Amino acid sequence: MKKKVISMLLAGAMVLSLAACGGSGDSGSAGGAAADSGSSGGAAAAADSGSSGGSGTKLTIWTWDQSFNIAAMNTAIEMYKADHPDFDAEVIETPSEDCETKLTTCANSGDYSTMADIVLMQDNSYQKFLASYPDAFTDLSDIGIDWSQFPELKQSYSMVGDQHFGVPFDNGAVIGCYRTDILEEAGYTIDDLTDITWTRFMEIGQDVYAKTGKYLLSSEASGGDTLLMMIFSCGAGVVDADGNPYIVDNEAVKACVDIYVQMIKNNVVLLVNSWDDYIKSITTGQTAGIVNGNWITGTLMSTEDQAGKWEITTMPRVDGVATATNYANNGGSSWYITSNCKDVALAKDFLLNTFGNNTDFYDAILPTTGAIACYLPAAETEAYNAPSEYFNGQPIFATIVEYSGHIPAYNRTPYHYESRTALNTAVQQIVDGADPATALQEAQDTLAFNMGQ
Amino acid sequence: MNTKKKGMTLIEKQRMSGWFFLAPASIMIAVMSFYPMIRAFILSLQTGTGANMKFTGFSNYQRILADKVFIQSIGNTFFYLIIQVPIMLVLAILLAQLLNNQHLRFKGLFRTCVFLPCATSLVSYAIIFRSLFAQDGLVNSILVNLHILPQAYNFLGNALSARIVIIIALIWRWTGYNMVFYLSGLQNIEYSVYEAAKIDGANGWKTFWGITVPLLRPTIIMTFIMSINGTLQLFDESVNLTKGGPANASITMSHYIYNTCFVNVPNFGYASAMSFIVFIMVAILAFINLKVGDTRD
Amino acid sequence: MTEKKNVSMIQRRLIPTYIFLVIVSIISVFPLYWMISAATNTSTDVSRGKIIPGGYFMQNFKNLISQQPLWKAMGNSFFYAILTTVVCLLVCSIAGYGFEIYHDKWKDKLFSILLLAMMVPQVATMIPLFQMVSKAKLLNTSVGFILPMVSTPFMIMMFRQNARAFPIDIIEAARIDGLNEVQIFFQMFFPTMRSTYAAAAVITFMNAWNAYLWPKVIMTDNKSLTMPMLIANLITGYVTDYGMLMCGVLFCSIPTMVVFFVLQKQFAEGITGAVK
Repeated sequence: MKKKVISMLLAGAMVLSLAACGGSGDSGSAGGAAADSGSSGGAAAAADSGSSGGSGTKLTIWTWDQSFNIAAMNTAIEMYKADHPDFDAEVIETPSEDCETKLTTCANSGDYSTMADIVLMQDNSYQKFLASYPDAFTDLSDIGIDWSQFPELKQSYSMVGDQHFGVPFDNGAVIGCYRTDILEEAGYTIDDLTDITWTRFMEIGQDVYAKTGKYLLSSEASGGDTLLMMIFSCGAGVVDADGNPYIVDNEAVKACVDIYVQMIKNNVVLLVNSWDDYIKSITTGQTAGIVNGNWITGTLMSTEDQAGKWEITTMPRVDGVATATNYANNGGSSWYITSNCKDVALAKDFLLNTFGNNTDFYDAILPTTGAIACYLPAAETEAYNAPSEYFNGQPIFATIVEYSGHIPAYNRTPYHYESRTALNTAVQQIVDGADPATALQEAQDTLAFNMGQ
Repeated sequence: MNTKKKGMTLIEKQRMSGWFFLAPASIMIAVMSFYPMIRAFILSLQTGTGANMKFTGFSNYQRILADKVFIQSIGNTFFYLIIQVPIMLVLAILLAQLLNNQHLRFKGLFRTCVFLPCATSLVSYAIIFRSLFAQDGLVNSILVNLHILPQAYNFLGNALSARIVIIIALIWRWTGYNMVFYLSGLQNIEYSVYEAAKIDGANGWKTFWGITVPLLRPTIIMTFIMSINGTLQLFDESVNLTKGGPANASITMSHYIYNTCFVNVPNFGYASAMSFIVFIMVAILAFINLKVGDTRD
Repeated sequence: MTEKKNVSMIQRRLIPTYIFLVIVSIISVFPLYWMISAATNTSTDVSRGKIIPGGYFMQNFKNLISQQPLWKAMGNSFFYAILTTVVCLLVCSIAGYGFEIYHDKWKDKLFSILLLAMMVPQVATMIPLFQMVSKAKLLNTSVGFILPMVSTPFMIMMFRQNARAFPIDIIEAARIDGLNEVQIFFQMFFPTMRSTYAAAAVITFMNAWNAYLWPKVIMTDNKSLTMPMLIANLITGYVTDYGMLMCGVLFCSIPTMVVFFVLQKQFAEGITGAVK
C-alpha cells in the first residue's frame, strides 16, 4: 500500500518532469549541454514572452506596493492609453530589494537583457547604482521636463553633475506627527511643537514622559533613519564635497549625535529593535509623536481608531548649527529608464506626460493611493488643498508639498547605507557608555574602510 | 559492516556500473557548483564593479585582515556554532528516541508538532520572536512577574542577550528538522535490539548512549556536518531577528557578505574572497568531523 | 502480545515522556497558532499584539486575493517543489546508492570532493550561475529554477549514509537470481528504503518551496511568481497590512506541514511496520 503511494508519486513526477523539460531528456544532461554550448532548445520555448519588452510598444515596468506605486503606475498607463490607443505596458510587481538584487546580478553578469524598460528605485539607493553601473541607465536630460517644477534636493538624488537620470515620483519630505490628545494631557498643543529646536523638543518630551508615561518619539536602533534626518536637516552630510567621510570634525554630526543620545537616555526617544516594533509603538499609543517621511501617514490612516487625534507640523531643528532647518527628506523614489529599454523615445514620452508634467494625473492618484507629488504645481490644485479628516481637517497634502520646497541640499554619497550603519553603531556604543569621540572616530574609520575598495 | 569482504566480492563490471550510478549527480554538481565556484574564486582575485574588474592578486584577502566587522562576524558565528549545534543535536536525538517508542500514543501528532517550526514561514517566525523578546513582550512579562528580573530587559538591544535569542531561535527552528533524520535513521535499528537490552537490565539512559547513539553514528555525522555548514552560513536569523545589531554584535559572516553584495555599494570581488574564507572554515571542520566520526575505513 | 494490565503500566511509566512532549509541542506550535490568529485580525490589532483569534479572516483573505495572484503562486510553487523533489530524489538516491554499495577508494575520494560543493555561500556562486542560466535561455523556466537544486551533496550524503544499513545479503541474493544492477536498485533498494525517501522528500520539498534568493534572481515575469515572492510583495510597501500578510504567510506554510504530516508515518514507521 505504502509502496503504491511512492510509486504513484514517482510516476506522476516523471510525467511532470518530462513535460517541463520539453523532451530535452534528463535534466542533468540538459544543464550540462546548456553550459557547454551556450544554447539549448530544451526549455527555451517553455516560458518566455513578456520578460523583456522587445515587442516595440509594450513596455515592462518593475515596481512594488500594490496600493501605492503600482496603483499610481496603473493610473498613469490608463491615462496615457487614452491619448495613445496603441500604447501597451505591463507592470511586474518587484519589491525594491528584489529590483536591486536583479539589477546587481545583471550588471555583474554583464547582461542587462532581462531588465525591465522602466524601473522604480529608492532615492537612497540610486546613487550607489549610478556610481557602480553607469551603463545600466538612460540619460533623461533631454526628456523635456521643466526641472524647476521639482524641488532641487529631490532631483539631486537621480543626478550626476548636470545629467538627469530619473523622473522624481513620491515625496519624502519629513513631517512631525503628534497625538494631540496626549499632548493636551501634558498641557501642550501642536503649536508648541511647531518650528522648535530639538532641545525644546527634549524638554517637552521629558515633561510628557513624566506626566503621561509616553515617549515623544520612537526610533529603530539598527536600521533607523532618525539621526540621518537630523543631520540632513542641517544641510550637512556625512561626507565632504569630495565624497570622503566627514564625521569626526563635522560639527553638525556631533551636535546631532549629542542631542540624539541625550534624548534616548532621558526617555524622550524609545529605541526599538525593528520596523514592526516601531509601528507597534505608534499603534499602541506608546509614543505620542513621529518624525519621519510623510509616507508614514499611510500607516497612521490605517489605524482608524486614532482618527482625529493626530496633527502634523514641521520637524524640530538642531540647535547650535548655523545651517539648521526644520526640513529634511527621508525615503521617496524616482522612475528610471534602463539601458535595456527597446523604445526609449516612447518610454520618455510616457513618463513626461504622466509623472513629468501632468497635474491631472497627480490629482487622480492622490485619493486612491495617497501618493504625494514632488511636482510643485500639484500643490495648487483643489485636491491637494482639501482638508484631511484624519488629521483634524488639516490640508496635509499641500502642506507636505510646501515643506518639500524648503529642504536643504547636502553632500550625497553612494555609501548611504554604510554611513547609516556606522552612525547607528556609534550611537549604540555611546548609549552603552562608550566615549563619543572614540565611537565617532570608529564610525569614520569603518566608513573609510568601506569606501576604500 | 565488514567492508573488506564486500570489496573483494565486487567484480569489475559492478565497479563500472557503480560509476554509472554516480555520473548524473556528479556531473550536475560539477556544472552547477564547481564551475561557478571556480569562477567565484577568479572573481575574488579582482576588484572593481560590473564589467570593469581588474586583477589585483590577493588584495581582497588582505583586506579581510583589516575588516573589523568581518572579524567580529567570524567571532559571532563561531559563538553560535559552539553553543547551538551540540544542544540542538542532543535534543533532536532525544526527541527522536522518545518518539520512536512503540508504546507511545499520538506519535504522528507529536512528530508533526515538533517538526512544525521549520515549516513555519520565516516572516511570521521572525515577527513573533521579536515580539516575544521585546521589552513589553511575553518573555519579559513572565520573568518580571516571577521576580526573576527586576524590570523589563531589552533582550534584542544588548549584545550577549541578542546572541542568545538567536541561539534559542535556531534551536527552536531546527531541532525538529534534525529529528527527521534521526527518526528515519532509527528505523534501521531493529526494535529487538532494544528489547534485548531491556532484558539485560539496561535503563533508558544506558540504551540511549549504548545503542542509539552508536547505531545512529552515520546519521549523526551527517547532521553534524549539515549543522556546521548551516551555522557557518547562517543568514536568516541575523537578518530578520536582530539585523545584525546591536552595533554588529550578532551579525553573521553570510549576512555581512550579503550586505557587501546587495545592500552596500556592491563589491563582488571582496564578497567572493570572504565566501572562500567561509568555505575553507566549513571544509576544515567537516573533514575533521568525517575523520573523527567515520570508523568504516 | 501484552495484557491490559501491562498496557496501563507501560502508559503510566510514559507519563513523564508525555509531559515533556506536550511542553515541547506547545512551544513548537505557539508561533503557528499566533500566525493563524493573526490572519483573523485586523492589521492594527496584530501590531498591537492581540493573540486571540478575531473575525477578520475573510476580509484579509479577500484583500489578499484581490491584490495578489494567490492561486497562481500556489500552483507555481507546488509545481516547482514537486518537480524538484522528484528529480532530486531520483538523481541523489541513485548516486548515494552507488557511492555506498560500490564504494572504493576513488569513489570515496570523489564523494569527499562533491561535499565541498555545499560549503561556499550561495551569494558567491550566484553571478556565474546566473550567467550560465541566462546564456542557456533558461530564465523564467522551471528547468532554470530546479537546476541548482536537484543534485545536492547533502541529499547524496543522506542516501549514502542510510544505504549503509541496507543488507548486502539482499544484493548478493538478487544477483544470484539474475537481476542486473539497475533492477536491484529499483526492485530491492528503492522499496526497502521507504523511510529514507520519505524523509528526503519532506526536506527537499520544504527547501524548494521556501527557495527565495535564486528564484528572485531568475524569475522576472508575472507568470513565474512563487509563494515566497508573493510574501515579499506584501512586506515591501510603505504600509504593511499585517492581517493580510499573515493570511498569505499561512497559505505559504500549510503545504509543507501537510506534506510532512502525510509522509511522517512513512519515514518514522516504515521498516518497523514492514517487519511485523
